[in-house]
Amino acid sequence: MIRLGNVLVSPGEGGVYGERTLDGYRVWDPYRSKLAALYTLGGGVDLAPGMRVLYLGAANGTTVSHVADYAGTVYAVEFAPRPMQDLLEVARRRKNIVPIMADANRPEEYAPFMEAVDLIYQDVAQPNQVEIAERNLAFLKPGGHLILMLKTRSVDVRRDPAEVLSEARAGLLRRLDVVEVRWLEPYHHDHAAIVCSLRE
Amino acid sequence: MLQRYWFGDVDEEGCRAAGTDPAELARRAATLRTSMETYVPIDWEVARDCGVVRTRAEYVDLLRAVCIARAREKIAVSYQARDVELLQMVRMLDELDNVINLLSERAAEWYQVTTPSFSRKYRSLPAKKMLDLVRRGARGGLSDVAGEIERLTGTRSRLMREVSARADEVLPNTSALIGGLVAARLLSRAGGLSALAKMPGSAIQVLGSERALFSHLRAGTPPPKHGIIFQHRRVHNAPREVRGRVARVLAAKLAIAARLDYYRGEAVPEFIRDAQARIDEAGVAA
Repeated sequence: MIRLGNVLVSPGEGGVYGERTLDGYRVWDPYRSKLAALYTLGGGVDLAPGMRVLYLGAANGTTVSHVADYAGTVYAVEFAPRPMQDLLEVARRRKNIVPIMADANRPEEYAPFMEAVDLIYQDVAQPNQVEIAERNLAFLKPGGHLILMLKTRSVDVRRDPAEVLSEARAGLLRRLDVVEVRWLEPYHHDHAAIVCSLRE
Repeated sequence: MLQRYWFGDVDEEGCRAAGTDPAELARRAATLRTSMETYVPIDWEVARDCGVVRTRAEYVDLLRAVCIARAREKIAVSYQARDVELLQMVRMLDELDNVINLLSERAAEWYQVTTPSFSRKYRSLPAKKMLDLVRRGARGGLSDVAGEIERLTGTRSRLMREVSARADEVLPNTSALIGGLVAARLLSRAGGLSALAKMPGSAIQVLGSERALFSHLRAGTPPPKHGIIFQHRRVHNAPREVRGRVARVLAAKLAIAARLDYYRGEAVPEFIRDAQARIDEAGVAA
């Protein structure tokens, strides 16, 4: 990952969402993007050229555009029509983004388009986030990584976030090794990043 | 085992390409049914050996074209639903209300300092009358602003009639029970007709009072009896002791009405008649 001083940046054509640029690089703001927060805190799996990424919950394509600056091919899955319109515009300018309009709950909808990927990044506001991750493991190469951005409030607002996290962690251990667990404070509240790798 | 991919079918015997026209491939992709038990992810080199593309760059290019065509198609379909525009109409209406109130209050404050003898106390001065007074009494910017607010108010009333009419058409059963405007507001809060149709009555009952609901769940304050449905006369006119019951019965009937609207799409007179009777009954003090 490229850092100028302690500012996380990505290489690529700017002006996607009015982001600042620094020495010709695009600033990747940890307060806006959870993935940027994870990298800024020194965690995560580094993105590399040639890497194939499945991005679940692509939304407007803001974070997707930064991931595409680093990675080889990004499969960006989004369900809602409104953000999808923006995502298509981002994908039009970045030739390595494959925009897929489908429900991450139903991987069979987009399976005919998918190749095996090195990394699954998931950021969806759904109560069954662990289940969604498990269903998508069919696309992950053995030894590949999953970064799950756990929105504890989407699972259950009433419960203690730490409790939600430990339950999610236990669920993921069924098929994955958990490499790292990290809260995204001070950038995002009640959000935890869980980094896993798929057992060979 | 046969694998059906976006570019063609692949099995032990080889590969049958499905052409290279993105629109055609997108249509074909819409018909594919995949079973995840036997699914194997694509190896792009199979597409190359199949003769669909020559390089990885070509593979990604064609795949993107197909996915973009497919996404455009899906977006168009999801916007076709009649409730999508109604949603935007209600939200605009509620936003207009806010803006008009804000501007009127500000104009009144301004007018008060230019006219020392003016006061709104002890006289019934509806907003419309006051604005007219300001427009004629004041000069320059203030008068212009008052004129604009009056025009906005006119726009608002026309939009309100449009919302009501559209709600009667999109939500015939729900509108019959609670009125077009309130029905449209429920729709807007739920986020769409399909979302509203999937809600239980108890959720519809407190739709719009999320703050009170979550403070009840978190801190144990008294639960809300009604949200948006309070705007309906049968709820706010009901005597205090039975208001909760009226809200509950009405919400339960609204849940059924929303499902009729979503799945049947037309008014069901027998249902409306029975539901009205049942709601009226709930409003009679024991």
